[in-house]
Formats: sequence, C-alpha cells, structure tokens
Amino acid sequence: MNEAILVPIEMAATWRYASGAAMERFCDGLRERRIEALRCGVCRRSYLPPRPICGNCHAPLSEWVSVADEGRLEAWTVLQVPMLDARTGSIREAPYGMGLIRLDGADTTINHYLAESDPARLAIGLRVRAVWRPEPRGAMDDIVHFEVLR
Amino acid sequence: MRHVAIIGTGQTDYASNRSDASQPELVREAAKAAIADAGLRPQQIDAVLISNMELFEGRALPELWLGEAAFAAGKPCLKVATGGTSGTSACISGFHQVASGLFDVVLVVGLEKHSEGQTQTGMALTDPFWDRAVAAGALGNFALSISQYMAERGVTERQAAMVAVKARRNAARNPHAHLKMPALTVDEVLASRPLAHPIRLLDMCPQSDGACAIVIAAEKPARRLCPRPAWVKASATRHEQPYIGDIDRRLVTMRTLRDAARGVYERAGIRDPLHDFDVAEIYEPVSYAELAWYEALGFCREGEAGRLIEDGVTAMDGELPVNPSGGVLSSNPVGASGVIRVAEAALQIHGRGGERQVEGVRTALVTGYGVYAWADVVVLGAQP
Amino acid sequence: MSELKAPNGDRRPIFIVGVGEVGPVAEDPRSIPEMVLEAVGMALADAAMGHGEIDAVVTASVDLFDGLTASNIAVTEVVGAVMKSETRIAADGLAAAIHAACELRSEAYQTVLVAAHGKASMSDYRSLTRWAMDPIHLQPLDVDFLICAGLQASAMAGADGGAQRRWAQLAARRRASAVPGALAAAISAEAVLASPVLAAPLHEGMCAPLGDGAAAVVLSVRPPAAGRRSVRLVGMGHDLEAHAMGDRDLTRWEGLGRALRRARADAGIASEEAIIDLAEPSCLYPHEEELFRQACAIGDETAISPGGGLFAGTAPVVAGLARLIAAVRGLRGNARYHQALAHGTWGPAGQGQAVALLEAAD
Repeated sequence: MNEAILVPIEMAATWRYASGAAMERFCDGLRERRIEALRCGVCRRSYLPPRPICGNCHAPLSEWVSVADEGRLEAWTVLQVPMLDARTGSIREAPYGMGLIRLDGADTTINHYLAESDPARLAIGLRVRAVWRPEPRGAMDDIVHFEVLR
Repeated sequence: MRHVAIIGTGQTDYASNRSDASQPELVREAAKAAIADAGLRPQQIDAVLISNMELFEGRALPELWLGEAAFAAGKPCLKVATGGTSGTSACISGFHQVASGLFDVVLVVGLEKHSEGQTQTGMALTDPFWDRAVAAGALGNFALSISQYMAERGVTERQAAMVAVKARRNAARNPHAHLKMPALTVDEVLASRPLAHPIRLLDMCPQSDGACAIVIAAEKPARRLCPRPAWVKASATRHEQPYIGDIDRRLVTMRTLRDAARGVYERAGIRDPLHDFDVAEIYEPVSYAELAWYEALGFCREGEAGRLIEDGVTAMDGELPVNPSGGVLSSNPVGASGVIRVAEAALQIHGRGGERQVEGVRTALVTGYGVYAWADVVVLGAQP
Repeated sequence: MSELKAPNGDRRPIFIVGVGEVGPVAEDPRSIPEMVLEAVGMALADAAMGHGEIDAVVTASVDLFDGLTASNIAVTEVVGAVMKSETRIAADGLAAAIHAACELRSEAYQTVLVAAHGKASMSDYRSLTRWAMDPIHLQPLDVDFLICAGLQASAMAGADGGAQRRWAQLAARRRASAVPGALAAAISAEAVLASPVLAAPLHEGMCAPLGDGAAAVVLSVRPPAAGRRSVRLVGMGHDLEAHAMGDRDLTRWEGLGRALRRARADAGIASEEAIIDLAEPSCLYPHEEELFRQACAIGDETAISPGGGLFAGTAPVVAGLARLIAAVRGLRGNARYHQALAHGTWGPAGQGQAVALLEAAD
C-alpha cells in the first residue's frame, strides 16, 4: 500500500468566554481610553491585565490604580513572517513590530504592536505611547499600536 | 520518594510529515519499542500515561482513541497535558505513580502529529480578552524575551547560532532526529530566513510528527530486568503566572527553572552542575534559550553562557555535552518532546546511545519547558 | 462492617480534609478562574489550611471544552500553582484526585490540592464530544457521547421490555431527591417518557443536563483537626476500556468492574466481605446506574445517591470530583455510614472508569 488514505475533517466551533469582573471593568475603561490596573495589597505589584488574585501572594485584588497610556519599551521584536491573527482570523502581514511595554503606573508589561517595524530604530528603554482607534469598543485592540516618542 | 527507575525507551523517527503512519501507529511504534527495550511483554505494563497537546490536532480526550495503541485497553490510563512540559510532566507523573506502590511498571507515551492538525490555530486559543489581541505566537514571544536577554547578558546572534549548529550536527548522529544537518555552519544559520528579530529560521525548533515512550519500574522489577537502570534521583515542577508580561525579563530570570533546579540539585546531591552531570538533555525551544538555561541551571555564572558555547564546553567532546540527541531544536513533536528528553537521558545511562553515546554517563540532567515559563527538572543516575 | 487489612503496613493513610463545590448551574456568568477561585477557597477553608500548606496541585480540565490552549493556564494563579508543582490530568476530576493520591503515596508531597472545572454553557458541548471519537472510523459518522450512551442503552433494552419504564421511574426518583436549585427540576416518570427522544431509547428526561461548575478537594497525609468525623481514601482504581463500541460488551461496564477490583485490592479488601454503605456514582442516565450497580455488585444495603446523584445536572470534568465530595459529605454527616464508594467516568458509554473507596474514622 503506497498511498495514504486521508480523512479530511473540518472543525468549526464557537465558545463564549466570560471575562470575569476585573477584566470587565478594564474593558469598560478602554471604551473611554482609560487603563486601570489592580494592585496587590501585599506585594504592592500593579497587575495588567487585572485578575481575581495575585498569584504570588494569593491575595484577592481590589485596589484599582490608574495607568497611563504611555510608558517604557521593555522588550521588542519585529515579526518578519506573516502570522495568524486570532482575533480576526486573517493573516497579519509582515513586517510588524511588537513590544512589551511597561505603562506608567503598572508593574507588569503589556504585549502589543509597535508602529515602528525597523529593527535599527527600536531599542529597550524608548518611550512609547498608545495610538487609539477612533471609536474604542472595549477591547485590547482599541489600542491600534504603540508609537515611539522621539 | 521510593526508588524508581527508567528501564526502557522507544522512539519513532521524527519528521515534518509522517504520512506513513497514523497517530495510533506512531504511539504503537514507540510503545512497542520501549516495552521490548525494557525486556517486557505488553501484558506486564500495569498502567499507561499519555502525553499529547491534542488541541493542536483538534482533538479532545485523545487517550480514548489512542489508549489501545499504547496497550492500555483494560488498564489504568490517563492523559497529561501541560503545554510544552506535557512530556516531562507525564514522566514525573509516572515516577509518582510507580513510587506510590500502586503500580510496579508504568508506560509513558508522548505523541504529537502536527501534520494532522493546525498547530497555529491550536496555539492561538489564548486568553480571548488579552493575549489574542496580538498575533505573536510562540515565535514573537521568544523574540521579545530574547531582546531583553541580549541587552542584559550580552549574548550575540553568533553565539546563538553556535547552539543551533551544535544541535543539528548532534542530530546527524541520532537516527530518529528530524533535522539532521551534519555540516551546518554558523554562517548558514545567520543567513537563514529571518522570522522575528533576531530569531532566524535555523534558530527555531521545527514542528515534528512522532512519538516517544519510556518504561518506569519500581526498584525490585528494575533490578531484575535492567542491567543498568536509570534511577530517578529527584524531580521538580514549577508553574508561573499566566501572562507573558507578568514575568520579569523571562529568559534572564526564569525563576521557575532556577527554583526547580535548586531543589532538585539539593536532593540529588549536585553541588557543581557543570562537573557533576555527565550529560544534559535540556528543553530548548529556540537557540538563545539554551544559553539562558546554561546560566539558570548553574553551568556557568550569569553572562558567561556565550563563552561556554564558544569554548565548546557543551559540545559532544566538551565537559558537559548538552543535547547529544539534537534537542528540541532538531525534533519537536510537542507532546513527545519532554518524553524525548527523559528517554535520551535515560538511554545515555543505559549505554544505548549508539553514535551519540557520551562515555561513562552516571548522572544526567533533564529539563522540560512550556507555556511562558513553566519548568520541570529531573536528575537521573546510575545509582538510586 | 468489613475488615480492612492494609496491604502495606507502613503506608500513610490519606485523609480528605477539605472539599468545596461551585454549581452546577445552567450558566455561570463568571470566568473559569473566578469559579475555581471560589471552589478552592471553600476547600481550603473547610480544611482550615492556606496555600502555604499545599505542596502540589493536580488539576482537571480539557482544552477543547474550555476553548483554550493549555487551559490550566487559566487557573494557575487561583489554585496557587505559581512557583509550585502542578500537573493536569485531562480526564474526569476523580481521576485527577486518584493521581493526587498517588503523589501522596509516593511521599513526594504531604498535602495536595485537586481542582476541576467545566462550563458546558460555553459551547455546544455535545458536538465537541465528537472530537474525542476515533477520527477515522467514528467521527465522520458524527458519533458523539450522547449517541454512544443511546447505543449502550439500546443494547441493554434489547430484550428487556420493561427497561424504559424502569429507567423513567429511576430518573424521576433521583430528580426528586435533588437539592433545590438544581439544573433540572423534579419530573414524573410519565413526563420523562413523554419527553422528546434525544438518542433512542434515551428520552430527554432521562439525560442529566450539563452546565457549569467547579470543585476542589484537599488530600493530606496529615490527619485533620479533631472535631469532625475524618474521612480517609483507602483504595483507588481506574480503567480504560476499548474505544470502539463494537469491541465492548455494551450490556456491562467491565471497565468499572476492573477499576473496583483494583480499588479493593489497593485497600486490602476481599470482595466477599465488602459492604459499601454509600455509593455516589457518576451516572448521567438511568441505564448507567443499572450498569454501575451490576459492575459493583451493589445491593439494597447500599444507599445510592441520596442527594439525587448527577441526574439533576452536573458539569463536565467536574462530575467525578463532585461525587467524591458527595461521598465525603455523606460520611461526615451520617454516623450510620462507614464505607463509601465514589465513582467517575469519562468518554463514550463509560469507556474510562475510576473508583475511590472511602472510610470514615470513628
């Protein structure tokens, strides 16, 4: 037997995910271009994304703190191959920049797109600021990307 | 923990597309080989653990379908899945199951058949409110961490390329390996297709089809059946907070791996990892990660990893050969990759390494890696 | 009362020291981490312990049901697995508890937390179960777990003309003893038989509705504080039958028989002596309860599912752990019960089976 028999199966599935109370408030804030983190009362770490408890201290998080929409670029890369964009289901063409950004007021970094896609013009330590879409809908992609402040 | 040992291993050949075998056939091939290597018959296996990231193949509860292929019908059989650490996690679960006294002999089989699924889609089912906002995949996430690691520790693209070369050249002497490149050069790695700055194609692990199995036995049957059992001296697992941004400078700090290693070294009596270990099979999803793991595992001081690879300390003829098998960089069926690390370390102690055998292996280190920073660490020894 | 001989005299007993359960409800508006957080909090409070006393965690969840890659990532923080050992058994929650007990017996840990979650409301759960069926021979026929249950029920009803009525009566009886607020209300046998047929011969009223839930259990080799009847896990066993329905005798749950034999051997109980006071099986349909009784040789001396069992509803993956919790609560709360059996199952028509034998210490 030389040829493999292929049984094609196509999967289409839908899931409805509950955001949780903390993420719900965070997403509501995005509608007004407001970013809020949750601070742990024990270790004082401000978490983005907000979530029910601090994984290190096991303490429930309830202290909301304001976070700016600009901050420091803590890590960066430029994607040079197209990638599946899970939100849209379509392919995001390369090149595009990505970074880990520590927004002023937060202790964790957020992973987001960068407007800059030339590696020669990216470095850790640059200041970056969010570029918002004209009509935010309450989701992380209300921020289109972060632009480098030069 | 009561003494348990690995007494047999079995692997399929790894390739980007094993269209010659179905998933159950790959499982059967590895299971059969491991059981035979252990000097047993299938009936003598008391329980089976399967490791598989079935979402990549679009499946659920895969052990229901695959169990029989692992000789598990009519036996206790469970599936372990913890991302990239699935394989090492399943092996550690196997150690616990045998050490519990509930079973004398446990078979662990890891499998992945990426060619029968849509791995990218499977990997895209991250937190829908947060991670899915950005299309980065494992590739982008590694590249981000690497930018921090390079900035802080000064490793270079050239040093990372040396890791990639070592892996594929080692793989050339491993009959099972997927990417065998006996003449690969650093320049070829540096000239390969850029994926995500600074990662190039040859810096990254492949996606492979394949399966790997080990047989774990309690002390009495291990001594009876195996001339040189690979005893489990210690193992540890550490998981992390769930978002990449939670982890401070991931490759630099890798607190999970460091803490797991520290605990395991203490229990296994390892004081000087570079000299106390005779071989290491560490889970390196990208070339730069291996350098970071040298530091995290205490093979060298922080910032010295580049020097280690340049001086050939981790080459086959070096002080501590790392990944004689070729590592994850050469073969990567995700659900099996962790089992392969354990199997390759065990067969080094068994003396079954063939062309990739390191001489006189008495103590071996194994690590598993997955998700953003989950870590498993195992030490195997020629003595319990 | 049966005599217990421990097969290994120096084996440390395993106590179930804390339990916590959330749901099941038809739809829980909260996220998975929020639900599991509550269940874990309840179990820890019940155990009078904090995360610092938990050495390791075993979780149960299935990626495809959660719609998440490595879905245990979602619960890592709320189960306290950060910088700790966690492993995930992707099967029924009782199997995860058994693995946790292995971890304790191995002496690697002293206290292990087990947590399970499932939210059937998130998706078309029934159609997702197709992806657990052999993709070459069965899935292309759109076989799912409900259809397999129907096939098994059909095999049993074959020459048994009274089966349907008996099943309808059993379903009605169990639903009537369920707690208020359960997913499915009480129903008469007539109404069961009048309800639509979902997978012949199973009527809708015979099928336990699936919803959302989470559960957590703390197992420890450290004896619990005095003041409450303590419960020990004395034996465990599990089994996986053949997958293809045609390879199995569908009129029996042979795998459960094997699992129970293993659990009894583990506990050092010779089967002739064995008396189980309380059984908490994982049965989604009445025919499964008959299969359960037959496989475990359960007679009238055993109380089965006094709280209604799963018939009034359950959550996938959680079910078996919820049965363990029911058995623990039963032993704690009723001085007449000394030995209990908790049961979990997963896969089509009970392909995977798990049994835990519990004993109350007086």
